[in-house]
Amino acid sequence: MAAVAGARKQSRRFRDLLEDRRFLAPALISPAVIFIVLLVGAPLVLSVYLSMTDATAGQLTGKFVWFHNFVDSWHNDNFRRALRNTIVFTLASQAIVLVGAGLLAHALVRPFRGRWILRFLILLPWAAPVAVSTIGFLWIFDSQFSVVNWTLVHDIMPGGGHFYLYRPVNWILGGIDHLPWIHTGKIDRLNPPQWLGQPTLAIVAIILVQAWRILPFATVIFIAGLSSIPNEVDDAAKVDGATGLRKFWHVTLPLQLPIATVALLFGIVFTATDMTVVYILTSGGPFNSTHVLTTWAYQTGIVSSNLGEGAAISLYLLPVLLVVSVLMLRFARRVEVS
Amino acid sequence: MWQTLRERGLSYLIVGPFAIVLAFPFYWMLVTAFKTNGDLYNLDNVPFTYHPAEAALGEKLPFRQQHWLPLGFEHATPSHVSFIFNDTNYTRWIENTAVVGGLVVLITLLLAVPAGYSLARLSGRWGQNVGVGIFLTYLVPPTLLFLPLSRVISKLGLQDRLWSLVLVYPSFTIPFATWLLMGFFRTIPLELEDAALIDGCSRLKALARVIFPISIPGILTVVIFSFSLCVNEFVYAITFISGTKQHTISAGVPTDLIRGDVYFWQSLMAATLIPSIPLALLYNSFLNRFIAGFTGGAFR
Amino acid sequence: MAENDDGLEELGLSQSLTRRQVIRRGLGGFLIVYGGALPKAAAAASPKFRRQQYKNTLKIIQWSHFVPAYDVWFDKTYTKNWGDKHDTDVQVDHIALAQLPARAQAEVAAQGGHDIFGHLSPQAGLEDQVINHKEIIQEVTHKVGKISELGFHSCYNPKTKKWHGFPDNYVPDPIHFRKDLWKQVGVKPSTWEDVRKAAPKLKALGHPVGLGMSNELDSNMLLIALMQCYGAFIQDKNARVAINSKHTIEALKVMRDIFKSGMTNEVFAWTAASNNQGYLSGRLALAVNAISIARTAEDSNPTLAKNTGIAPIPRGPVQRLGLEHVMGVYTVWKFTKNKTLAKRFIADLEINYQGAFKNSKYYNFPAFKGAVHNYKKQLLSDTHTPKGKYGVLDLIANKYTTNLGYPGFSNAAIDEIFNTWLIPQMFAEVAQGKMTPAEAAKAAEHDAKRIFAKWRSRGKI
Repeated sequence: MAAVAGARKQSRRFRDLLEDRRFLAPALISPAVIFIVLLVGAPLVLSVYLSMTDATAGQLTGKFVWFHNFVDSWHNDNFRRALRNTIVFTLASQAIVLVGAGLLAHALVRPFRGRWILRFLILLPWAAPVAVSTIGFLWIFDSQFSVVNWTLVHDIMPGGGHFYLYRPVNWILGGIDHLPWIHTGKIDRLNPPQWLGQPTLAIVAIILVQAWRILPFATVIFIAGLSSIPNEVDDAAKVDGATGLRKFWHVTLPLQLPIATVALLFGIVFTATDMTVVYILTSGGPFNSTHVLTTWAYQTGIVSSNLGEGAAISLYLLPVLLVVSVLMLRFARRVEVS
Repeated sequence: MWQTLRERGLSYLIVGPFAIVLAFPFYWMLVTAFKTNGDLYNLDNVPFTYHPAEAALGEKLPFRQQHWLPLGFEHATPSHVSFIFNDTNYTRWIENTAVVGGLVVLITLLLAVPAGYSLARLSGRWGQNVGVGIFLTYLVPPTLLFLPLSRVISKLGLQDRLWSLVLVYPSFTIPFATWLLMGFFRTIPLELEDAALIDGCSRLKALARVIFPISIPGILTVVIFSFSLCVNEFVYAITFISGTKQHTISAGVPTDLIRGDVYFWQSLMAATLIPSIPLALLYNSFLNRFIAGFTGGAFR
Repeated sequence: MAENDDGLEELGLSQSLTRRQVIRRGLGGFLIVYGGALPKAAAAASPKFRRQQYKNTLKIIQWSHFVPAYDVWFDKTYTKNWGDKHDTDVQVDHIALAQLPARAQAEVAAQGGHDIFGHLSPQAGLEDQVINHKEIIQEVTHKVGKISELGFHSCYNPKTKKWHGFPDNYVPDPIHFRKDLWKQVGVKPSTWEDVRKAAPKLKALGHPVGLGMSNELDSNMLLIALMQCYGAFIQDKNARVAINSKHTIEALKVMRDIFKSGMTNEVFAWTAASNNQGYLSGRLALAVNAISIARTAEDSNPTLAKNTGIAPIPRGPVQRLGLEHVMGVYTVWKFTKNKTLAKRFIADLEINYQGAFKNSKYYNFPAFKGAVHNYKKQLLSDTHTPKGKYGVLDLIANKYTTNLGYPGFSNAAIDEIFNTWLIPQMFAEVAQGKMTPAEAAKAAEHDAKRIFAKWRSRGKI
């Protein structure tokens, strides 16, 4: 009798334990945390260690050189260009994404005929595995067979007439040339633009591909944000007489700010930590001009076998992203609360 | 009436061009996938229609189409598409990608749902910060981690096995998912849970019976996100697995369809289209649910 | 949640109810098809059990050969037969060219991987991670004779006296030219001066020469070979940097001339496939490439193949000397447990190289000359027209092919210079007018010296 009572007390104590906040919370969190600590934390620590050694060629040990790798990287022109490129590519592509996604989301929120099909088409870039779709772009921008160049340079008027697309484009480019700082040059029919072979064009191509693949994703997030605006707010705005642009500026935009921040944050993280697109399109590009931190780290660490230096270069990315993320998350929360 | 008409017109005017620009590469890939070699590598041919392969050097083509629609189907060939199914392990790669994605999503849900719930409900103030901290581990790029992880994988004997990916992929899906779900669970009103608790359920039962059904949208969000992260992953897939039968799509396509200095362009295009279309259909169908899931969670 | 449902209705969900049913069914089918994959893939992921149980296992990884038939022969015939004789299950994995370095380093980091790693260039940088391949060299020398100078200078490190790889094969790098077009301009591409003179004429015909200056393999090999023809070298035979010389400047000038008068900007954006594709489309009149171009033409455009001539690299003012296009090097990791078996396999493959020579359609030449007999006869017997055109490969292989790093040895610094595209960049900057030849040679010397100093400090040079 006493044994049974004892057993029942034990099981109840166990159940009480499960009820106890202090036990349950850590119990539920710990599997995830342990997983992350093991598979992200431990390799990260090892990478930090590597960045302070002169390890080479896959060896995971080396002589300690403390911050020599970090200082060395900083003095390398290519590194500074990679850092600049990372920032430029990320900001430029995300600017395009923000504007595009904002517009698209507004248009897609209201139902209309054919919306399902159009939405399907818009989602395609996000659905395609990035490595494979980038190979597709390699062919779209090919040095000889680029379909973009073909369209620009050939007579595309069906039937008897003649129309060359590069003529109006050159007219526009000529106008842009008059602006200060910008020198575009013209499209030469016999020497068409090398999208992946000229530094400026390569940068443009990479930015476009990044924007292309992130745009659907950001659009979906924006749609989520728009549809979360409670009807009452909408109606109140209408009652107040705010319509069109006024409504957009004073009502929709502020309410969308938090979700726009989140979309921007995701976009920034996806673009800044991505190696695949740049690696496949240009591998760092003509004269190392399109390297970003991730590809430059790969080139230094793996191709040139300077493992320690490669780790140091990768680590430069981390604090920047950390600061950006924390700031943006704080901003989003503050805006949303107000 | 005019306003709705104008609104509708505006919708088409905005969405139309975007849809064209975003989907155009895929249309062009579709056309290219069926081109013959002679047609593809001819610089004068219109890329959007099919032409006969040049019979002999120096001969002009008997006709030149100035159309933009893919006409001339008699000069198209399915041989490049059938090449990937017959002469490579493409179907295997699709299966592998699906399996890895499915398993990783499962693991992610198993670990992230309780973590997200507990961070939202049970941990109060510091829970918010721990959640953000977990999200931040997502920022560590795979190019930094793949070498140390190779050692781990090798020690575990998982090299060249799909299980290596199943083990490693949650390392970037879990942080993301936890943070997302944490925000989502926060929006579920406490009253619902308290009601269940008052009714005599234990906390775990409350979690299972009441919270879980309501959080389906949030969970769907996590499923789609995690799956898409797995399908897109390239660095680990290439590094940990070398056997062609064990490759995922991201690893197998560049390896087997690019041989030395010969690119099988038509097959590469087809290889891109084949997984994208079902995935886009899938995402599109779940979009409404997905939105509901996101609205609840993103920024709280 | 009630208000969300209203929102969903507003999004037009009600009208899509029947559509949703259709989609649900479709997706159900999708999941069934892919779900059926689960047990299959799980089975594939677990260790395979062959019908025949072998005592040993040997794992090899190498590139996907340009000639698919070679891989089929290697994977399905040769290794099976060898495996049966040695009671071994030989597993061959393939990998794309670009991923070889990452894969190699991952295996080092993991201290686990394949027993035999097939590289496409000498890997002096991995010297510390691999065994000394001396025994294999000795065994093969014993059976078929001495190794070629090319092989010796590629895989031996005179400083550490270690063979850091086994040179299995190399691929000669001829030029392909359009006999009909060159006849039209009345020149033969026998010297670089001829090429320089003919370039503008060919461009006027609409068929320019195709000499790449991009960050890719073909450009790298072509430009280093061009330098050699002009007497310019990256290092001298004592591994001292020698790139800043008047010969280099002359070579830079020649290439700049050829570009300005005969080519377009595309040559700065080429991939390894671009000169192939350009030549096969009928546009280019000259390309420097291994016989992959000729072989592809034979399959897809026989008329073009008939008009294609194969010849050695054009002569420069100093000499006629080219490079190997790629060199197949096998390495055995220090950590592998199957060293004896691996060494045996590599030795046997080289000793019996006839099969590989033939099945690669004469792409692969063995690094040990004696491993194959009657080169000339076999090459001349190739039936593609014009008959006998592959005969010149024998001459190229014997007289006009040398190792990367000539006149010195292929060392880790040369490797790194090669892998980071220093030479194509130097030529491209001059051709595009960004630097004068003197400046470019000086800049390249500066970079090269830095790299050489690094490896020297590690005791490898």
